Amino acid sequence: MKSTEDVNRVIDAYADMVRRICFVHLKNRHDTEDVFQNVYMKYLLYEGSFESNEHEKAWFVRVTINACTDWLRALSRRKWVPLDALAEEGASMDDSSREVLEAVLKLPEKYRDVIYLFYYEEYPAVEIAKILGKKENTIYTWLSRAKELLRQKLGGEWS
Amino acid sequence: MSIAQNKIKKSMENIQATEEMKQRTLRYLEAQQTRRSRSFFQQRPHMAIGYVMAAICVFLLAGTGGYAVYSKPVSYISIDVNPSIELAVNRFDRVVSAKGYNADGEDILQHVPLENISYLQAIDRLLKDAYYSRYLNRDSQLVVTVVSEHSDTMLEQISANAAFQALDTATYSSDTACMAEAHQHEMSFGKYRAYLELSQYDGSITVEDCHGMTIGEIQNRIRTCQGHSGEGSSEKRQGQHHNGHSGSHGHN
Repeated sequence: MKSTEDVNRVIDAYADMVRRICFVHLKNRHDTEDVFQNVYMKYLLYEGSFESNEHEKAWFVRVTINACTDWLRALSRRKWVPLDALAEEGASMDDSSREVLEAVLKLPEKYRDVIYLFYYEEYPAVEIAKILGKKENTIYTWLSRAKELLRQKLGGEWS
Repeated sequence: MSIAQNKIKKSMENIQATEEMKQRTLRYLEAQQTRRSRSFFQQRPHMAIGYVMAAICVFLLAGTGGYAVYSKPVSYISIDVNPSIELAVNRFDRVVSAKGYNADGEDILQHVPLENISYLQAIDRLLKDAYYSRYLNRDSQLVVTVVSEHSDTMLEQISANAAFQALDTATYSSDTACMAEAHQHEMSFGKYRAYLELSQYDGSITVEDCHGMTIGEIQNRIRTCQGHSGEGSSEKRQGQHHNGHSGSHGHN
């Protein structure tokens, strides 16, 4: 089991990222907090070690995405567009950011992950493939289709 | 940083974990530590069922017809120079079918039998064949792409071939979804993978364009785009795999 010191460190390091991944998957803050706690519970119980900070970060990405998927499945909910979450967060955003987030949240779930990881976390496709357990070609295809959907919604600069 | 990346970053940077959320999580973790005394299978009854089901599956598999198992491909190898050839490989590493995906590929298969031998023997036979060697000149590149659960191991074994090492080569892994898409376009999945990579840099390229290009020409276009795109991610991706072939990119 991980030490309290370790837990404090990874909360400082990854809490915002875990929160954002939850945001692109889940309906509201209540669900987000439950999954957020589950992710850190998994870390507390994780008996493996990490080769590097990058390895540890990738573990958190993968575990958070899986936790969100499991959460939705366990509650037998549809994989909805989590626009309610945007309503909760949207008050502090300008119109442009809100428009971008709304377009991202309307993407199919798997496309939301690759868009977030590619653009925000700046992972290359080959790393995204490893994190998501997919082939690199699949990631290229998802990125292309996601960009095309964003281009249809937001305009030509999403090429 | 691209405009798209700027917009995504700006829109998401305010989505943050609050201090209250962090503190509640720390308290939750403390409370959960005291509840972990139950046994592994008590906590995970679905895994116990999983082990039983797996044992039943192994038992049933052992009793099914041997021929069906032998003839069923489990891995696929795309070998592209200009001839594009695909090998289907069974669980015993033997080639159960070979197909050409362009005129040159079909022509080669008329002259070089590749079925019912191991895939390593098939590749060795192909590379040492005088008829095939006409395509392996100084300017050409041999690209081997594998679809398999054991693609890393297969690519390592293929790369150990001395004739293979003497050539300008690259190795990649792909997946069954892309293979199916490739076949819809009557293209080998190795060449289609290269097309997908090129299309990331050049949105105007089409599958039809790539039909008329050799794999070496597509690879050169990718390298040119990577050299001039200025995108950090592509540089990083290329650098990670030039000296190995366990990932999607191989050595050149």
